[in-house]
Amino acid sequence: MREFMTGNHAVAHAVRLCRTPLIAAYPITPQTPIYEKLSEWEASGVIKGIMMRTESEHSAMASCIAASLTGVRTFTATSSQGLALMHEMLHFAAGCRTPVVMANVNRLLAAPWGFWADQLDSLSQRDTGWIQLYCENGQEALDSVIQAYKIAEQVFLPVMISLEAFFVSHFMEPMEIPDQEGVDRFLPPMNLPHQFDMEKPGFLVPVVSSELYRKYKHMAQTSMDSVKEVAVRVDHEFKATFGRGYGIIEPVMMEDAEVVIVTAGSITSTARVAVKALREQGHRVGLLKIRYFRPFPREAIQQALRGKKKIAVIDRNNSVGGGGIFCQELRAALVHSPDHPLTYSYIAGIGGTDVTPEVIQGIVFDAINRTGPVDESIWIMEE
Amino acid sequence: MVRFESMKICAESFELVIPISYGSTEVIDTGTWGFQKPETIFMTAPCEEACPAGNPIARFIYLAGDGQYGAALETILKENPFPGVCGRVCSHPCESGCNRNQYDDAVSINALERYVFDATVDRSPELHSVPNSDPKKIAIVGAGPAGLSCAYFLALMGHKVTLFEARQELGGVLRWGIPEYRLPKSVLKKEIGRILGLGIEIKTGVAVGKQISIEALNRFDAIFLSPGAGRSIPLGIEGENLAKAWRGTDFLQRINSGEKVRVEKEIIVIGGGNTAMDVARSACRLGSSVTVAYRRTKKEMPAIADEVEEAEQEGVRFEFLVQPVEIKLLKNRKIRVKFQRMRLRKTSRDKRPRPIPVKGSFVMLEADRLITAVGEGVDLSWIPQALSAKGFIKSGPSLVTEGSRIFAGGDAVDQQRSVVTAISSGKRAAISIDLSLRGQDPEEVFSKIRIGSKETLSMETYLNGRERGNWGEPKGVVVYDQINTLFFKPSERMWGERIDQSKALKGFLEVHTGLSSEGARLSASRCFSCGTCNYCYNCYFFCPEGIVSFDPVDRMRRVDLDHCKGCGTCSRACPRHVIEMRLIS
Repeated sequence: MREFMTGNHAVAHAVRLCRTPLIAAYPITPQTPIYEKLSEWEASGVIKGIMMRTESEHSAMASCIAASLTGVRTFTATSSQGLALMHEMLHFAAGCRTPVVMANVNRLLAAPWGFWADQLDSLSQRDTGWIQLYCENGQEALDSVIQAYKIAEQVFLPVMISLEAFFVSHFMEPMEIPDQEGVDRFLPPMNLPHQFDMEKPGFLVPVVSSELYRKYKHMAQTSMDSVKEVAVRVDHEFKATFGRGYGIIEPVMMEDAEVVIVTAGSITSTARVAVKALREQGHRVGLLKIRYFRPFPREAIQQALRGKKKIAVIDRNNSVGGGGIFCQELRAALVHSPDHPLTYSYIAGIGGTDVTPEVIQGIVFDAINRTGPVDESIWIMEE
Repeated sequence: MVRFESMKICAESFELVIPISYGSTEVIDTGTWGFQKPETIFMTAPCEEACPAGNPIARFIYLAGDGQYGAALETILKENPFPGVCGRVCSHPCESGCNRNQYDDAVSINALERYVFDATVDRSPELHSVPNSDPKKIAIVGAGPAGLSCAYFLALMGHKVTLFEARQELGGVLRWGIPEYRLPKSVLKKEIGRILGLGIEIKTGVAVGKQISIEALNRFDAIFLSPGAGRSIPLGIEGENLAKAWRGTDFLQRINSGEKVRVEKEIIVIGGGNTAMDVARSACRLGSSVTVAYRRTKKEMPAIADEVEEAEQEGVRFEFLVQPVEIKLLKNRKIRVKFQRMRLRKTSRDKRPRPIPVKGSFVMLEADRLITAVGEGVDLSWIPQALSAKGFIKSGPSLVTEGSRIFAGGDAVDQQRSVVTAISSGKRAAISIDLSLRGQDPEEVFSKIRIGSKETLSMETYLNGRERGNWGEPKGVVVYDQINTLFFKPSERMWGERIDQSKALKGFLEVHTGLSSEGARLSASRCFSCGTCNYCYNCYFFCPEGIVSFDPVDRMRRVDLDHCKGCGTCSRACPRHVIEMRLIS
């Protein structure tokens, strides 16, 4: 069914279609419409589960973890400060190997205060052990939530779906809502091997020895390593069922490209327009969309960028003192590549500033004109 | 060092993705980490301290609120043999002491006491008696609230009591003074029956000093004198012995003995106490139009405030600041009372202001009849002179008189006069007699069985330590600041029901019909339960260690001290100050 709606409501539809019986959340702009839509559906009986209105995001995540361990699908949505408050529980969710799925609407972190798009909130949670993916638009957010459950419930790791504030969360687009039957077929009931057994009460998160701790962290790493393969398979199945697929990365017009723009999230869609225009002007420009950030699709990226001369990574985020985070990860992934390309880091769109096709063209020309390496990130500062 | 082996992380859990322990963290004695421990300290509620009879108010209200009316009745009966009477006629000083006064409004304690009696009127409660291997013979003279209470408690302690009563029926002021519309005879009968059921020998129609001499009572091991104060005090002015002037106590006695008293249209009642109110309201019921004349103002009236208010509602008029100086019979058979106009002069802070005459200012009132009720005196004609002083039988704090083995209490001794103080002195005398006969000093023991810091004694505490001859120290009283009011919501005080005024004035039907069952439930739920655990489970829910438990059978609160870190959360979460943290020595 095709419907005109926002990215937030697209996420809510996905949660409904996955028949998630436990939703625990706390409202925060710009995520609140997800919370409101699910609340409304709970009240009217459209969704059958329980919507817990917790007193904080920390509690929301704690509730999801506990519920997940009883063997049910869980969902929460948050943003920015809420995600930051959740931080401690994010480690618990991953450490307890719970397949919790969360939508995070990327919003800048205070201070100063603001509500605008910026990926720093979720990227700050890089090392919590969550699978992370970044969505280009509402449709992808909807589809990614459904895919996320299928992946999470195979590898027992939580998944964070990120969509940018307003550009995705509030923009309305025509979207395809999968039918319930199809989703039911695609997504089998959840089966958690370590779910609580009422017949055999146990205590979770006991103190363990150093060796045991290491063992479980290694197991988590092994599981995370397997995600790339699982994610590709799930994406293929999804495409076969619903006709849409995204890959873990997406190379666009990469053949013969001399400069490759690398993006994640909503800037990708603008970049598609900019690249097309540049191609029409005769410039050999390509685009690489990175969808998965954790696990970082190292091999796929290495392969996609093999033989490229120049790379321009656009980051709507900045690690103060470190630069654009996607670029850092990409540089690390390419460090052993033969003929290591010149990799430029551009900071654009911070704090929700607009990244127009012209801005992207400017970045491409800047990269074309450069001859030597630049270590620092280059800030795009036009008004 | 944490003992990992005790955690028993299962071999099979290695196959799982996370560690699960099927052992218990109880092996870690976290209780050794703290420096303080919670202690359950049952404390005294301020209402209990304020009640002269020492009613275990917090406990009985908890039981009533839980619907356990039988247990609530038995709880009151440990300290007070007259819940049905007190629930109707008590001046309820408890409610003035209620901590809830500082929050919104006092709990309806008096009405709840009555409800507990009314709800259990068909039941036979179990009374808390103790065995006695050396029972003594005790004579009690006068079967009013003091004498009956003394008899009750002595009988509970296994003594052999003989009750001498000059009249044909027991009850004293409850039977002959208080009118039926305030205290139905059926209620009194029920309560006296319960007391007599303990095996008390009664000798009615035997006036000591007439039918037998006081010396004849020497064959008893101890004597308690509680003859009451039944004689109206004369005004001491010209004309008061006219046939048109009656004494209030005589008037009430005639009504209470069932006599069809005829009274004229216009009545003047002189006095401001409960007797004056009883007289005025009784006269209203006999069809009279009544004016009460009192020498101070309404504020200073010794009568229970509710009684004054109800008298006003029933049409009684008041003439304040007047003192009679002369009574004359007029030719038209009316009487004229000349009153001196008075004004008040402030005295020291605690005392009532004194009325003093306004020179040359008089008020004349005419009526068909005058009834005086300016106080009651004690008939001391049969009391040996050595035992009396200033119109009273003389007794000390332990109620012992100058006579050997003779004790005295109730309205005949110099103490505040009310039903509940009479009950209190009956209890005090019973304990005093028991201790004296056991060769112990009553006053020394009194200081240990007090309820709070006032004079009231706890029979339950006394009996608990009696066998051992050893009592602890009195418990502290919970003050308002110790109540965690965050756990309460303001709520409206509940009032009992009343019959229609038109119906009330047609006869002597009881005016108050008490709380509805819903009213009782709501009233009980308003109680802070100061110092008494009412199983609110706050400590259980708030304990971060999960080590507070309640036994489902005896509902005892237990704390696993081996795992209590002494954080004090339970103590702060307790709304009623039942838990205090104590440093580990």
